[in-house]
Amino acid sequence: MRFGIFYEISVPRPWEDDIEHTVYHRCLEQVRVADEVGFHSVWAVEHHFLEEYSHCSAPELFLTACAMQTKQIRVGHGIVVCVPQFNHPIRAAERAAVLDILSDGRLEFGTGRSATWTELGGMDANPDETKETWDEYTRTIPQMWTNERYGYEGRAFRMPTRAVLPKPYQKPHPPMWVAVSSPGTETDAAERGMGSLGLTFGGFAEQEQKVNAYRRRIQDCEPVGAFVNENVATVNFLYCHPDNEVGVQTGSRLTGSFAYLAALLLPVREVHPTRSYPNPGLLAASRQQAAQNPGEGASAPEGVCIGNPDRLIEEIKKWEACGVDQINFLLNALETIPQEQVLDSLRLFGEEVMPHFRDDAAPAAAERELAGAAGSGD
Amino acid sequence: MPISGTAELVPLLPYAPQLANLETEALELPNVQVLQVIYETDDRNMAEHLPPALHPTIPPTMHVIGWRAEDGPLGAFTLAMVRVGCRAAVRPRGLPTRVVCTEGAAAEALRERWGFPVTVGDAVLRERYDRVSIEVNDGGASVLAAQMIDPIPIGNGDLLYTAGMHLATVEREGETKPWLVQVDAEFQVSRADRGQSRIDAFDDAFWSAANLRPNYPIVASYTTANVTLPRIRYICDPEQPAFVGTVAL
Repeated sequence: MRFGIFYEISVPRPWEDDIEHTVYHRCLEQVRVADEVGFHSVWAVEHHFLEEYSHCSAPELFLTACAMQTKQIRVGHGIVVCVPQFNHPIRAAERAAVLDILSDGRLEFGTGRSATWTELGGMDANPDETKETWDEYTRTIPQMWTNERYGYEGRAFRMPTRAVLPKPYQKPHPPMWVAVSSPGTETDAAERGMGSLGLTFGGFAEQEQKVNAYRRRIQDCEPVGAFVNENVATVNFLYCHPDNEVGVQTGSRLTGSFAYLAALLLPVREVHPTRSYPNPGLLAASRQQAAQNPGEGASAPEGVCIGNPDRLIEEIKKWEACGVDQINFLLNALETIPQEQVLDSLRLFGEEVMPHFRDDAAPAAAERELAGAAGSGD
Repeated sequence: MPISGTAELVPLLPYAPQLANLETEALELPNVQVLQVIYETDDRNMAEHLPPALHPTIPPTMHVIGWRAEDGPLGAFTLAMVRVGCRAAVRPRGLPTRVVCTEGAAAEALRERWGFPVTVGDAVLRERYDRVSIEVNDGGASVLAAQMIDPIPIGNGDLLYTAGMHLATVEREGETKPWLVQVDAEFQVSRADRGQSRIDAFDDAFWSAANLRPNYPIVASYTTANVTLPRIRYICDPEQPAFVGTVAL
């Protein structure tokens, strides 16, 4: 089991002069502490226009700062939006390669397609087409990384043969992941030999089903990259405190705030009916959780990592038993928890919870290299 | 903190009905044609259209809805409705500002049993091969003209209709006061199309939605559905956040 931290970068109103500066620098301080404590990775989303919920529109810049201020922690794009109106695939490949170089090979590359009209509408992107464009990006970006020159003629984009530069520091390329928010997307990840980067807050039974489906399907995958990244990561909340009641109460404020903010956004499915988005995804799951815990109640939902170290160890053991390889934690929303408490929570987690879990640097199941899988470009 | 509605209740009430009780039974309307045209709206006054119980969506939205019922327990009628898209705590909802219905008996039932802010008027839903429109005229002037253009078939399960929060004065437990009545109608869809949204005329004053300005089209849908108007299960105090002001009946 490995542990990561996961950033939406939630900024509360009122947006006074320096609030975004303050929040960003608090996040960087948390990342430095997480690195010292021994967290495996820091992930940052790419979101646009999501007021208060996420002000993280340029994650590659934030992650570059993270890499410059840390030694060990890996930096994860969680995720790059693979839709032309957001990111041209060549630019996505180039930026990722630079980040991999600057971080001395610590990049994890997540892919996805956005789930809100707030974003897709804002970028004038067609929700019907995002699954197709995401698929093309996942197949072409590793080719850009691993071939000296590459050319492509597709539906989302085309390019005459060019050298996409620089190349990533990790060889053959960084591990690739897929954001999994809708049921069934875990098998999309498995089909392509990519890691499953879970972004919803399901229970143990649901997660175990997903993991089993993923493990079965990935055995027969057609990898889009040069190797298979067989890993299942889930997202969770973290607030660790010596007193369980305080931990649960404080953590419940975090989960409630996060879910409340998510609910105000417009999922694609609510306003733009399409088969491309059969489920509201992250937002619906968040709402559901908030509905179960609307106020400041002191009960922790199943699997949520808030409370004292003993409770967290117990919950994480259950996730481990479900087959989860990594848990990525959200630490704050709306600055609900004061910075010192967030830092104390990270330190306590590192001292009293992490030692109960083995951090496999290279999990046995993961990253099966496929010699010669990186073929030549079209 | 999230933006909440700031509207005073009195300006929202001119078409709000008075409900003698909340003991409504469910009622199915068969084979209703349902047009829904969704637009983003001007964000500058998005909180002004909602009571404090509700939050505007990000971005703010409005729903123009047309129903045409050709038979059923309320008889044949056509209805046009304008709603403000919103959230009650974490739940997706729409607040109707005014409804126009062509038939008095249907209007009375909708008003008195489910709290639709409905008046009798001139509404026409028209279906052509390349578009479906809803139009409302008042005193010879067009106060609403909205369309779905260039329909394409979609799956019956692709649609998501959000529940209404109907502001009504309710007699309850010896007290008469405004409540938001949750009307979570069920739609059993047998045919569905999706197309472009277009609003050609919208008189915000007529629709009791001053300064509600549609400014960016999202999408429109047109379905045939059996619509079940539900038994009322929840009401919400319009002046408190929904997560503390909601009452289960």
